[in-house]
Amino acid sequence: MSKKHLENADMETAMSRVDGRVKVMGAAKYTAEVQLPELTYGVLVESTIGQGVITALDTKKAEWAPGVIAVISHLNTPGVPEYKLQNQDVIQKQLRVFDSPNIYYNGQPIAVVVADTFERARYAASLVKVTYAKQQSYSNLEDNLSKAVVPKKAKSDPKGFTTDFLRGKAEAFRDAEFQVNEEYIQPSEAHHPMEPHSIIATWEAADKLTLVDKTQGSQQTAASIAKSFQLPPENVKVLSTYVGGAFGSALRVWPHEIVAILAAKKVQKPVKLVLHRNQMSYMVGYRPYTLQKVAIGASKDGKIVGLSHASYGKTSMYEEFTENVLIMSRMMYDIPNVDTKYRIVPLNVSTPAPMRGPGEATGSFALECAMDELSYKLNMDPIALRLANYASQDPDKKMPWSSNYLKECYELGAEKIGWNKRKAQPDANQEGEWKIGYGVATGTFGAFRGGASAKATFKPDGTLLLQSAIADIGPGTATSMTAIAAKNLGLAPEKISFQLGNSTFPKAPMQGGSNTVATVGSAIVATCDNLKVELAKRAAVQKPEWKNAIAKNIKIVGTQLINSDDASSKVEIASLFSQDNLAELVVKGDAAPGEESKKYSFYSFSVHFIEAHVHELTGVVKIKNAVSVIDCGTVVSPKTARSQSMGGIVGGIGMALMEEVVLDDRTGRTVTASFGDYHVPVQADIPQMDMMFVNERDPYLNPMGSKGLGEIVIIGVAPAVANAVYNATGKRVRDLPITPDKLI
Amino acid sequence: MIENNTREKEEKELSGNSRRDFLKKSSVITAIALTPVAAVKASDLKLDEKLSDAIEQMPLSIEINGQQHNLKVEPRTTLLDLLRERLKLTGTKKGCDQGQCGACTVHIDGVRALSCLQLAVMNDGAKITTIEGLSDGDKLHPMQEAFIKHDGFQCGYCTPGQIMSAVACIHEGHANSETEIREFMSGNICRCGAYANIVNAIKEVKEGGAI
Amino acid sequence: MNNFQYKRVSSPAAAIAELSKDPAAKLVAGGTNLIDLMKYGVMAPDKLVDVNHLSFDAIKKEERSLYIGATVRNAVAAGNADVLKYQPLLSQAMLAGASAQLRNKATMGGNLLQRTRCGYFYDISAPCNKRVPGSGCAALEGYNRMHAIFGASSSCIAVNPSDMNVALTALDATILVSGPKGDRKIPVSEFHRLPGTHPELDTTLDRKEIITGLVIPDNNFAAHTTYLKVRDRISYAFALISVAVAIDLDGTAIRDIRLAMGGVAHKPWRLTEAEQLLKGKQATVENFKMAAELAMKGAKAYEHNAFKLKLAPNTMIQALKTASGVKA
Repeated sequence: MSKKHLENADMETAMSRVDGRVKVMGAAKYTAEVQLPELTYGVLVESTIGQGVITALDTKKAEWAPGVIAVISHLNTPGVPEYKLQNQDVIQKQLRVFDSPNIYYNGQPIAVVVADTFERARYAASLVKVTYAKQQSYSNLEDNLSKAVVPKKAKSDPKGFTTDFLRGKAEAFRDAEFQVNEEYIQPSEAHHPMEPHSIIATWEAADKLTLVDKTQGSQQTAASIAKSFQLPPENVKVLSTYVGGAFGSALRVWPHEIVAILAAKKVQKPVKLVLHRNQMSYMVGYRPYTLQKVAIGASKDGKIVGLSHASYGKTSMYEEFTENVLIMSRMMYDIPNVDTKYRIVPLNVSTPAPMRGPGEATGSFALECAMDELSYKLNMDPIALRLANYASQDPDKKMPWSSNYLKECYELGAEKIGWNKRKAQPDANQEGEWKIGYGVATGTFGAFRGGASAKATFKPDGTLLLQSAIADIGPGTATSMTAIAAKNLGLAPEKISFQLGNSTFPKAPMQGGSNTVATVGSAIVATCDNLKVELAKRAAVQKPEWKNAIAKNIKIVGTQLINSDDASSKVEIASLFSQDNLAELVVKGDAAPGEESKKYSFYSFSVHFIEAHVHELTGVVKIKNAVSVIDCGTVVSPKTARSQSMGGIVGGIGMALMEEVVLDDRTGRTVTASFGDYHVPVQADIPQMDMMFVNERDPYLNPMGSKGLGEIVIIGVAPAVANAVYNATGKRVRDLPITPDKLI
Repeated sequence: MIENNTREKEEKELSGNSRRDFLKKSSVITAIALTPVAAVKASDLKLDEKLSDAIEQMPLSIEINGQQHNLKVEPRTTLLDLLRERLKLTGTKKGCDQGQCGACTVHIDGVRALSCLQLAVMNDGAKITTIEGLSDGDKLHPMQEAFIKHDGFQCGYCTPGQIMSAVACIHEGHANSETEIREFMSGNICRCGAYANIVNAIKEVKEGGAI
Repeated sequence: MNNFQYKRVSSPAAAIAELSKDPAAKLVAGGTNLIDLMKYGVMAPDKLVDVNHLSFDAIKKEERSLYIGATVRNAVAAGNADVLKYQPLLSQAMLAGASAQLRNKATMGGNLLQRTRCGYFYDISAPCNKRVPGSGCAALEGYNRMHAIFGASSSCIAVNPSDMNVALTALDATILVSGPKGDRKIPVSEFHRLPGTHPELDTTLDRKEIITGLVIPDNNFAAHTTYLKVRDRISYAFALISVAVAIDLDGTAIRDIRLAMGGVAHKPWRLTEAEQLLKGKQATVENFKMAAELAMKGAKAYEHNAFKLKLAPNTMIQALKTASGVKA
């Protein structure tokens, strides 16, 4: 293979993050850090039972505590206008904040205390006395499987992945010579971005609201809030300039945001509400606890005959949450007979949320572990097994892949990790006290593109300001957009600035589902093209030959505009402004997907390799090496892409080895809410890693040739770890996380 | 299970339900030579909040990033909340507020510590350095430069704490190998997973001998 | 967190006087545990007496012992040349605990008084006899994965979370305290207590007493010590099981040995019988296994912590192997 792919060393020297300086100086202002006059502080009071009714709420002591401005609950809420338009008897979609004394889960916000300082609000919140008529709550999935239902989404979206599905014959695995038939458990996981969810709500007027808010979509939050409060959409402004991570937790409006807006309405001052770390486990969604049953049958040569996959996930009593757990089983491998079944179990828990690599990460854990189990039954190399079932087109949509470099991924990764050191027999490789194992697993996620717009403001000094409403939760959106614009225009990256996270900026999707570069990047290309055409038009005033210039041939070189069709015809950029006495040139651009999704199936792919060492006596697992090879099309910003990928691997290691939100099913209360009890990987858990990109262009998705990246770097990591642990120890752990107690 | 979320102690402390009772029984009143009568009068005149301001606060003299501050603070105010909410030095981050993430790491008298578990008043007379005080004006500290070069962050929220911790890690002599760096930087959680890059940044600064 | 009075004291007498005067007063030093508990509303003292400025910040090698003052920071003690030379086990244990930032503030005295990390103790909506005597124990039939297998009672199955305390227990330290009735010395084995019917009491320290320091008697263990801590991640987590081993080794013969375990009881768990078994024996894996089996006598597991019945002896065997250098 010619060296087109990118390895660590190729990427470390690439362009650095454009917002790096402001971040390392501590000068980036995250939501809770925006300064407003007359700011007040809101602290939530939450339920301490899992199901029941509030019979009394004594707020007197809280109201009388020093500094307290108001205590707001269902007893005195200003109300959310949208609720009146909904059926009063049925709670649907979002939890209706302070709308009734009913409790649906433990930790539900039931009041907010607003005070002049954080300390006073926090103390007063502890003085609110709640009396309940308590009912039995139900939060355990296995105990309540009889309550499993087909989601409503299966009806509204019959072609989706929650509908019962059959290709060929059901349960065809039973006919096969080699079978795997197992259950896998993905426990609930909390996103836990380092920045707690925060909001500052300000009513500028009776019908005008400004929110500084942690969100993955400023415009989507604005629209949702405008609907809830029945405000003209243009009267809700949302700012989310810096978002300290989210991983899916900020893809929607949550109760605490409604609370802050209600509180601000009540006190007529800006209210800042910051969630406590513990509240981050149940107030802003979580990857739902999911039980999966996977059965695979294969013939002796490794060809899979049938695959059956069923998934049972938790959801709340008031809202349906579904995700694409089963997608990979339908499209990843060339299998003639596939049947899938998706169920949800409504319980006394808050509503889950998509968490990085959402359902696919959960589904891949079961599927890719089952594939590994099958490989041992067949006595076949797990990579060979996957290649034997490689799908040369999408077997689900029955369409060609837009691009698929999985084979290259397997090949590059196997060589990098030293796959030949892997012993085919488990528990057969030991150095001293440590058992050594290698594992592999595949990840995939749809490559999406939506519609977006951007605005460019170009100045005579050659500086360019680009704006889009898109959020940046960490991947480096401003950096990749700057890289795209710089490449398109020929402009030095230092001349470009990119502003985001503002609902008044041009239209953008939420930052989620790995579609930012494809969607917003396309709008940047369109905007830059428009800018070049506009400049050419102005150049034509000086030199008529510019009339025929086409965007792709136009470049900005130094202070001049160049047409590669006619190298001799250069114009000074400054002159294009001075000729019309222009101070700046403002250009917009729109981009939307075309008909390509009717012709091709779009997916990104990843293959993850893990070398795990497991201590023979204590069961401690050390990840010694991680290699991931990624097919995400052309890499737009290599340095940040590499970091984003490593971050996904770290998330996957956490998922595999330590992360678990545990509920006490007697009360439905979270018992691993704090960072001391809910373990995420720390520095000592993580080795140096090799991130490799195939870096082959996808010809169809967007002008950059890119596909999505953010999800595929976690999808498949947990099974790769589990498979490596099995290879090391011969112990198959099917219920995550793989903590030491499960390996002794 | 106990079905209310107030503490037994507070039940005792606040058994009355009038504002006067609150003031009488408040520890605030016992703290100063103010008779309950005077306090109750203050309450009737709705001066209680001003009153509590006066008596619940303590003087604090603290040097932050070379600048002396003479303040009055409630004893319960943490150093972290003082920095962020009062002094608007928001570079120091609140990640967990309970000593479990490292985002609030500052240097207290040259030693790295978690500002969320420090009461501000405990640091009377102390010298604090926060991320805002690390660079020399516009000139970044070598560790800040190295974090940019090695991309030791994504969302940036844990970054000030990582950098303050990293500088101290070298000063302490705990950056002599990758393994040692990893162990002694394990008190700083990065959910975006920039760990490997952070190690590379620290290694480079350590090997460069700039600090 | 309620507001409270704060007073910085400059003499032990003043600290004792404050504690005597106000039953709801608490001492604060590093603050790394107490302030956390106050934020959760688990503890709500009326007054904090700041003892950071008392002159108990020395580490001194004395004729037959090592003295460490109560306000010495854990990080300072862990890196101290005398500690490393004479009592390396203590240094290893302290470095296995918390994070660098926490160790920079946490003191010897404070760590001795570190309270349990039982999730139900921290959650003020849950019954907890340690937090509210008589309210019940939510952990008994709850999520008790981290909980005790030794010495628990029907009132409380919480564990002492400290690593330092495990090493001090193995090393037979003595805690120096001072109170209204004068000074006294408490052997560390008598300092921490089992829950019994009074789990609200973690230690035998009187409410009016302060810790001034601790003393570790000299020993011949320095060459063969190991503190092995097994946790859910590689660092910055509390122990599932930890084992402190100190061996006085004569070739391959065990002249003397100390063993203590963490993560298993309301107090650091000294393994005296296992020590007796190994004393005078050869350092062999076979003997280590026998000792580990003996050490587990009387262990009792709950719904979620049965793994400790195996992880504890396994960790002990590994710690013994590492400390003695015996591989097979």
